[in-house]
Amino acid sequence: MSRSVWKGPFVDGYLLKKAQAVRDGGRNEVIKMWSRRSTVLPQFVGLTFGVHNGQKHIPVMVTENMIGHKFGEFAPTRTFSGHAADKKVRRA
Amino acid sequence: MARIAGVNIPTQKRVHIALTYIHGIGHTKARQICQSVGVPEERRVNQMTDDEVIRIREAIDRDYTVEGDLRREVAMNIKRLLDLGCYRGLRHRKGLPVHGQRTHSNARTRKGRARPITGKKKA
Repeated sequence: MSRSVWKGPFVDGYLLKKAQAVRDGGRNEVIKMWSRRSTVLPQFVGLTFGVHNGQKHIPVMVTENMIGHKFGEFAPTRTFSGHAADKKVRRA
Repeated sequence: MARIAGVNIPTQKRVHIALTYIHGIGHTKARQICQSVGVPEERRVNQMTDDEVIRIREAIDRDYTVEGDLRREVAMNIKRLLDLGCYRGLRHRKGLPVHGQRTHSNARTRKGRARPITGKKKA
């Protein structure tokens, strides 16, 4: 079920501050962040976030299309490169 | 023969059933359409007057997205997810379930027929 509209989008507060700081600073640096649960807001467009995937920060360039998605969606937490048996099949 | 919304030619069935042959119209929408243009439930397609056919055609054109347009819309939505590089896009790309279902077993609709694992020893 989707979130009630009256609550507004969920964002961890510190992100807003960090994003604003980078905007004011002018230089486009990667904003390290752990808040995968936060929504991508319109004011984040054009910034680069380093979204934590549990191990390291994945750089995510925010584009207009991403608005409304959660940051976590752009930094996969699992690495799966297929089963050993599958590879054998491909080699044969 | 009645052509409604392009290529669909439903036959001797009741109108509200025949309309479900159109991609994008199920039972609920079919009934809504029949009600809004005043076609009684017992009416069959070959008993419809030309006027009724025209009104149904207009109602569908006006209020609903069907067939090609609907398919295009769905494809566009999926394409957006693919281009975005988000989790749902990755799942679409890999042909795995998108809504968080288990893949340890089942998920055969997305994964297709089960492939035997080669080199697996018999117990």
